[in-house]
Amino acid sequence: MNSDNMDVMFALTVIKESMSKSIIVSDAINGDVHIQIKKEDLLEFAVFLKTDSRLEFDMLSDLFAVDYPKKTERIEVIYNFYSIKNNFRVFIKAASKADETEYPSLTSVYNSADWFEREVYDMFGLKFKNHPDLKRILNPDDWDGHPLLKDYPLRKRPEPEEIKMDAPGYIELEKI
Amino acid sequence: MFEYKDFLIETDKFALNIGPSHPATHGVLRVLVQLDGETVINAEPIIGYLHTGMEKFAEFRTYHQAETITDRMDYVSGASNNLGYILAVEKLCGVKAPKRAEYVRVILAEFTRISSHLVWLATHAVDLGALTEFLYCFRERELILDIIETVTGARMTPSFYRVGGLAMDVHKDFFDKTRSFIKIFPDKIAEYEALLTKNKIWLERTKNLGIISAEDAINFALTGPSLRGSGIKYDVRKANPYSRYEDFDFEIPTGETGDVYDRYLVRMEEMRQSLKIISQAIENVPEGEYLSYDEYPEYVIPPKKRALTTMEGMISLFKYGMEGIKPPKGEVYVSIENPRGELGFYMVSDGSAFPYRMRVRPPSFCNISALNKMAKGYLVADLIAIMGSVDILLGEVDR
Repeated sequence: MNSDNMDVMFALTVIKESMSKSIIVSDAINGDVHIQIKKEDLLEFAVFLKTDSRLEFDMLSDLFAVDYPKKTERIEVIYNFYSIKNNFRVFIKAASKADETEYPSLTSVYNSADWFEREVYDMFGLKFKNHPDLKRILNPDDWDGHPLLKDYPLRKRPEPEEIKMDAPGYIELEKI
Repeated sequence: MFEYKDFLIETDKFALNIGPSHPATHGVLRVLVQLDGETVINAEPIIGYLHTGMEKFAEFRTYHQAETITDRMDYVSGASNNLGYILAVEKLCGVKAPKRAEYVRVILAEFTRISSHLVWLATHAVDLGALTEFLYCFRERELILDIIETVTGARMTPSFYRVGGLAMDVHKDFFDKTRSFIKIFPDKIAEYEALLTKNKIWLERTKNLGIISAEDAINFALTGPSLRGSGIKYDVRKANPYSRYEDFDFEIPTGETGDVYDRYLVRMEEMRQSLKIISQAIENVPEGEYLSYDEYPEYVIPPKKRALTTMEGMISLFKYGMEGIKPPKGEVYVSIENPRGELGFYMVSDGSAFPYRMRVRPPSFCNISALNKMAKGYLVADLIAIMGSVDILLGEVDR
């Protein structure tokens, strides 16, 4: 929904010029710019986006993941950067294999990354290196599994033997 | 002999648990507060008590079924959430709604903004001890819900939009009721403001509290009135106009210091601006189709009358009911200005009748994450005021 497509294209050119070594592929469909990058360069990339005087992506508007179980690089994390001053929006994507799920944390650059990264950890089980307090956010701390993975069933209930009988407040009916 | 220090009571930091079930948290938010006497050292919001897995649910619903999930997220502004979702699906399909439908959508979205701000004002005022405000606000909110019910048949969870238009044409009473509402509402806002805006108690409870600077607000990805209270003129309706917002003339109110009082003033002015948009839109709703079925028969449901009287209409209605629409493969992002901030939908389609992934960018989620930053160093009583001024809705925070 970017009314001014030219601006985003300008941003894409600037990014391509300076960071070409970490970009794998980039495209612009429907006015949304998507850039696929190597996940090791994420932190460097974010610092560049925020500090470059032509871009000034000052807001990390969103951060989430998509699960593609059939691909070799299974989980794709999408970063939604927005520049309030210039009205640009770019989507930076970084994919990872199922067994190499460690990402650099952007909390040192953007404060909003804190909760978003916790949510991605909660829902997809990705680890973020150097995150100050990486724990579950929406599910309970002792929850089993990561709900938004495609192999997690929609209606999962804990097995009867998994229910903890020694939990505080649990009273057996006969004893009352 | 005793010395002075022997008479002093030993003090220690201690933890206070507010919520998850507490009237001032406006839902089931839990805030773990570390206190030194009465001063807040650290306030950590703990969320997730209302988590219902809506993003997961949407992957198992057809595109039109998933719409009903979206208005249950931010349940006091249902029509606005539906708008964001349906615009995302329309962008995915490449469909554009007719002008009549877009104007009605704008009117409903702005009504929702007013009613949502009224709920906010009512509960915020109750938190700070002004009970009369609550009754005033809910009186006018009832009128708005009545108008929304006239059009959509539901008060809070309308699900009235369809891909390429509306579910049905608007009811004939809609225009009269809206016009009479436009006539009475400016006086009512003056009534609310007479109670609070220059009230000394209100000023003392809200001024210079919960200050967040513009830089921090952007860094925490705050949007909506919480960001504009800090002086940033960012509104999605102006920055990236959607659904013909560019046709209307309105202002974006901003604050200066970014305290509780500024956020209050911004929301009060926003209600006036919303009313301005409604009054422009209601006089210019064009005649014509409310669904763009003729242009995009692949994706748009036929209007009810044609579905029941023509053969092709009946066949396509049956097809949509049984199979759902199948947008082409792709990914889109659409954001709208919700009463609480920028509500974004990132939809991934794999070409089937179910969304592959529906990501919601929840405004309240980001706004409450900055609570610690805002509340540090203030008193516990101020923490309640700050929490109220951020205007969170837990249905959306937890999804």
